[in-house]
Amino acid sequence: MELLVIVGLVALTSVGAYIVGTRILALERVTLRLALGEALECLGLTVVFLIVNLAAGLTSIFGFRALTGRFVSVYWLNDVSLAVLSLLQALVFHRWWRPTK
Amino acid sequence: MHGLRILGAAAVLLFLVAAFTPLANVLNIRMAGTARLEPSDAIVVMGRGGADGDGVLTNRSLRRLLRGVSLYREGLAPILVLSGTKVETRSRLELARGLGVPETAILTTHEGLTTKQEAAELSQLLQPLGRRRILLVADPIDMPRARSLVERAGFVVHPAPTAASGPSGPESRLGLVRDIAIELTALGYYRLTGAL
Repeated sequence: MELLVIVGLVALTSVGAYIVGTRILALERVTLRLALGEALECLGLTVVFLIVNLAAGLTSIFGFRALTGRFVSVYWLNDVSLAVLSLLQALVFHRWWRPTK
Repeated sequence: MHGLRILGAAAVLLFLVAAFTPLANVLNIRMAGTARLEPSDAIVVMGRGGADGDGVLTNRSLRRLLRGVSLYREGLAPILVLSGTKVETRSRLELARGLGVPETAILTTHEGLTTKQEAAELSQLLQPLGRRRILLVADPIDMPRARSLVERAGFVVHPAPTAASGPSGPESRLGLVRDIAIELTALGYYRLTGAL
């Protein structure tokens, strides 16, 4: 039921956005495919940033443990904010790398 | 760029499968194994996530404690052993007392910051008392690693996982998939370093 509600809601607002885009903002239909491709690139970059952030975090934690003998939990990295910040990094980097044509 | 698009598409696919299919629940049940709720020498509640700054136990830590107290009330063992960080064991101790477990039936480990340390602490605490058969309370996904480490420490383990069916909402399932990924990484790390 939750699946139907959430997916149905998103499908409905996506159709609404499509109608607003094509009829009010006069966007070209063909560019939607390009936009989807770029969105996937952004998500791919997010994954890359997330992996790099996790690797850097793990290296820092294990390094700190080895150097100081003090315990720092790797669970500190288990935080959704890291994924959100990785997404932000990816968005900025993507706009910088491939500015609006 | 093509590679990034494939990676992005894979991330979307993983998200959809993790959030909207029962994959996480199936993995949860598989990792839990079969519960063996048999009379034992002690009920051991492993630490998980500690407590917040105000001393309130995390969700997982609380679930484990409640499971342990429930098993104690069923009379499956004469003592309840609370493991974890100092703050966590202190909070759990107070709560267990409040739930009616007599203080004389509760033992706490000194401090276990990792599962490996907890196993060592349990060995020091329980083996001199001759208590080797334990009911091990842990989350389903943590059970394989916890069980292996505690068995390595010389105990006969009867697994008593917390509710194994797992969450039903998309957000909770995503959280569970994340925890499964972390647990599998930890399992790999322990195997690589020879701890398992």
